[in-house]
Amino acid sequence: MSTAVGDVRLGRGRMTVKRFSIVLASIALVVAACTPTPGGTPASGTPAASEGPTRGGTLIFAMWQEPTTLAPPYLNQTIAGLVSQVAVEGLTRTDTDGKYQPVLAKSVPDINNGGVKLSADGKKMDVTYELLSAVTWSDGHAFTSADVKFTWENRMKDPKVVNRAGYDQIESIDTPNDTNVVMHFKSVYAPYPTLFGALLAKHVAEKEADLSKSDYNQRPLGTGPFKFTEFVAGDHITAERNPNYRDKTKPYLDKIIFKSVPASEVAIAQLKAGEVQGMWNILESQTPDLEKESAIKLVITPSPSVERVEINTAANKDMTDPTSVHPVLGDIAMRKALVWATPKQQLVDKLLFGKAKPGSSGYSQGWAKYTGPPQDSYDPKKANDELDKAGWVKGADGIRSKGGVRASLTITSTTGNKTREQVEQVLSDEYKQIGVELKIQNQPSSVFLSGSWSAGDPRKRGTFDLDMYATSPDIDPHTHIFTRFHSSQIPSAANNGLGNNYTRLRSPDVDKAIDEGGATLDLEKRKAAYNNAVKGINDAYVIIWLYERASIDAFRTNVGGWQGNVWDNITWNSGDWYLKK
Amino acid sequence: MTTYVLRRLLQAVPLLLGITVVSFAILKAIPGGPMAAYEGNPNITDEDIRRLEHALGLDQPVHIQYLSWLTAFLTGDWGYSYSSHRAVLTEIMERFPKTVYLMGTVYVVTLLVAIPIGILTAVRQYSWFDHIVTGTTFAFLSTPTFWLGLLLIIVFGLQLRLLPLGGMATLGTDFDLLDRVRHLILPVATLSLVGIGRYVRFLRASMLETLTQDYLRTARAKGLGERIVVARHALKNASIPLVTVAALDLPELFVGALVTEQIFGWPGMGRLYWDAATRSDYPVIMGFLAVAASLIILANLAADVFYAYLDPRIRYA
Amino acid sequence: MATLRSSQLLAQAVALPATAYRERGQWRMAFERFLEHRLAVAGIVVLALLALLSAFAPLVSPYNPEKTNLLLIFESPSPSHPMGTDSLGRDLATRILYGGRVSLSVGVLAIAVAITLGTLIGGIAGFYGRWIDAVLMRVVDMMLSFPRLFLLILFGVFFKGMTLGVIVIVLGLLSWMPTSRLVRATFLSLKNRDFVEAARSIGARNRDIIARHILPNSLAPIIVAATLGVAGAIITESTLSFLGLGIQPPTPSWGNMLKDATSEMNQAPWTAIFPGLFIFLAVVSINFIGDGLRDALDPRHVTKRI
Repeated sequence: MSTAVGDVRLGRGRMTVKRFSIVLASIALVVAACTPTPGGTPASGTPAASEGPTRGGTLIFAMWQEPTTLAPPYLNQTIAGLVSQVAVEGLTRTDTDGKYQPVLAKSVPDINNGGVKLSADGKKMDVTYELLSAVTWSDGHAFTSADVKFTWENRMKDPKVVNRAGYDQIESIDTPNDTNVVMHFKSVYAPYPTLFGALLAKHVAEKEADLSKSDYNQRPLGTGPFKFTEFVAGDHITAERNPNYRDKTKPYLDKIIFKSVPASEVAIAQLKAGEVQGMWNILESQTPDLEKESAIKLVITPSPSVERVEINTAANKDMTDPTSVHPVLGDIAMRKALVWATPKQQLVDKLLFGKAKPGSSGYSQGWAKYTGPPQDSYDPKKANDELDKAGWVKGADGIRSKGGVRASLTITSTTGNKTREQVEQVLSDEYKQIGVELKIQNQPSSVFLSGSWSAGDPRKRGTFDLDMYATSPDIDPHTHIFTRFHSSQIPSAANNGLGNNYTRLRSPDVDKAIDEGGATLDLEKRKAAYNNAVKGINDAYVIIWLYERASIDAFRTNVGGWQGNVWDNITWNSGDWYLKK
Repeated sequence: MTTYVLRRLLQAVPLLLGITVVSFAILKAIPGGPMAAYEGNPNITDEDIRRLEHALGLDQPVHIQYLSWLTAFLTGDWGYSYSSHRAVLTEIMERFPKTVYLMGTVYVVTLLVAIPIGILTAVRQYSWFDHIVTGTTFAFLSTPTFWLGLLLIIVFGLQLRLLPLGGMATLGTDFDLLDRVRHLILPVATLSLVGIGRYVRFLRASMLETLTQDYLRTARAKGLGERIVVARHALKNASIPLVTVAALDLPELFVGALVTEQIFGWPGMGRLYWDAATRSDYPVIMGFLAVAASLIILANLAADVFYAYLDPRIRYA
Repeated sequence: MATLRSSQLLAQAVALPATAYRERGQWRMAFERFLEHRLAVAGIVVLALLALLSAFAPLVSPYNPEKTNLLLIFESPSPSHPMGTDSLGRDLATRILYGGRVSLSVGVLAIAVAITLGTLIGGIAGFYGRWIDAVLMRVVDMMLSFPRLFLLILFGVFFKGMTLGVIVIVLGLLSWMPTSRLVRATFLSLKNRDFVEAARSIGARNRDIIARHILPNSLAPIIVAATLGVAGAIITESTLSFLGLGIQPPTPSWGNMLKDATSEMNQAPWTAIFPGLFIFLAVVSINFIGDGLRDALDPRHVTKRI
């Protein structure tokens, strides 16, 4: 019986302890739930207008993709560039009109001001930069021409850098003194001002045995208005005011915290609630919701990004032979019909809420932009007539065939992108109306856009009919247009998958125009040449330019000083941002 | 018993090896690769892609790649992430405590709530309490976790604005216990509610089975109060299967709930895996799978040992 | 219980088709027990309704689930569209019905694969024992040590566009292990029972023993596990599709309709509520049915207290 008594006490004790903890937990929950939402940082004040930038405050910026590295030689994601820019600067930048502006250089060298000198035979050039003096890195060390030279050397020596285009055209660099850099190019490389957009700090980077594995990736040193103090993977990145910044009045903000959120919808919710004050890369479909909010301002800037459908003119076969002909898409009548059956304006109006423009070329911005006749417009009747004329006969199921070949095609794009899926479904519907069957076969971007012959990227191997994705050419379009439309750039087994001419276009006219564009430094001549190239591409009906996207960011109305830039990230002038009181 | 444990541990080694081989094979068989991350860059040329592939060792034959991974792994070098270039071990160690923090809370809350409720429903079978509990537990365990999480966010985060929309703490402020608790509520609720549903049903079934046993009749016949009968005899025996099931759930403590971490922006192991899988970041994926598989094997062993320890009828050779 | 077994022995001895008679009695009793379980019956009704509506979707709904209509985007529920329209102007109710076909069939078929595979492997291991058992159980251990969802994600990335068939096979391949353990345990315990020995003594062949004696007696736990497995498979498919790795649009499945809906929750909450609701209804019904089956089929499972 004594055990029984003991057990009763023990038993009751156990039950009571459990009950007590439950009660305690419930109280805690109720208390926590009743606590009002914190007002956040001093940043989320009332959106009252005030003149002039005020100093101080922390701005929280939501990013729904996470940068994996911020170090200039290795970074590749747009978001990584966006974040990195608040601290890391380069010699020059591009302004919204597409003109180059100096940052750490005193001026932008070109042929007219003597900064660029051609060699006697006109085949090589020297570019001289004069750097600003009395600039220091955020740790106080002086910024000199040695840093520029080191940036180039690292690019060429380190096997893990992302790309070398342009840097490999430099034969050598001289640094006659701390503020002068002379670059000897071995060819006439027209896009030279786009190089050295982000510089490495020699005194820190040279100490690392393997820069790619060092802390430089999380907290790169820079000369910009902010410096990185914290990088918590998966959570946030903190950038604080750089006390050694050359403009003593800026930055106005004390801190910018880049907060990692799992999806853009969450970022929007947090923006609305005032938990964050800015966010990046908003989808067109999210704009109607945000436009209703009086405390939020959308920043809509045209961008060079163009969404397109590529038509494979060679056979849909692995390691396809460039000279083969696609049984369905080899017929130009079919390609014309597909272009005429695409309701671009409707897609822009309904799926993109008018925040984009129907496309006519891949080069919509800048000095090289296409100003020729727009691509043919939506005319399904014309499409049907063309196919009838060309001998594609409608079968009992409504799908055409010719010579025993059925007009059945697949379209490939990236999974997980709602707008693309919507566009594909609309196209599938529209093409059915003209008697073409379109099946959707999406793949994750790590497969579809790997850009690697060995990894089986279908565009490289030719195993697709239609594909859909977006690309953004640089301010200087030459590399882009060359690799994508020149006949020498068709990936095949013979050249080990070199080139990005996925449509397998082989047009002598287009080739000639592209070569002309790359052969001179005269911008007017180049623009005319590239325009001709686009005309030729459009006349071949190998691409459907769907729409030109705008770049959409958003800030709460109490944030001032930001400015959209067609060619740069929204953080390009983070030193000017401020919080209104 | 010790020989049994030792034998199991020894068997675990080839098991783990086999798992790493199969995982690696699957990864390599998957088309695509980490080079896709470079697609959007207009300046990347094919040479650049080839150079990068070579730098990462991706152009070597598959079995060589596996062996170099294995030898490095066994010496403690778990490789470097293809995207962040940080050591895989560092990445995992960074996320690990955060997942344990979340899942540990879920675990404790689930058990604290499920056990008393499970006992009570069995004891008061067919009462109105039992019916309500049955209804709600079935409802919760039938709900997909991601849907529940989203609904909770809509109701409590967006409409009522009572609770934060994700993350572990409010940024830019110092450590605040109440703030941490508020951030914990929704993700813990999402996972616990479903877990409580499971555990209550399980405990109820096993309690019911125990409560009808003959030896309890004897105990009652001896004149022992119902409470003691339940607490001392029934519960102890009914909890044996519960303990084994709880032990089998242990790996989740470390490996995390992938979808929930996604929805709530919790910077834990689950999200690490998702990011790595979608980016074809092989070193991180392999490291993660190795950890997860080891934990599962250990948990299975622990469950079997516990079971043998608690139930004297079980004897292992 | 004893009566059952001895009558089987007797019947075997006189070579009567005795199992037929006894089984009907056994199953009939189970059926009656099942009917007592009100929730389980409700579950059957709901599930049958869902299945029939999905199967006869073209007759039930006048709309085409894949026809887009950009003018009708995000219409809220109305008499002409009882559950509203989605982001491409398609009738949501129609898509849910067609989606039911996919989600329900994936669940059932995946588990069919899992059960078949599991019974086969578990049965062989349990019946033949010794080294076959040891090897097979090592394989089971290895498969069980893989974290399932993480593997599914890798597979989702692997197969270029998951079709229904591929998802069914992959899910089945990853779900057969618990069944095999169950079947193995049952076979192990049953193969040494008296009636099996009796059957062997009169010269019955192994496969007859398995088919006529062991298998029927191990059906009960398999059925219950299968039912609950279907519920789990439906949730797994919806989670996969939610992550973008399962059934690809435009084919509707309850899971991938939710994937699109998460970003639309603010503007069009009905797109998030209804598909999830149907997943919930289907899974709850199946769980109730499973619960009822468990009570009904296991005569030792006493649900009433003495």
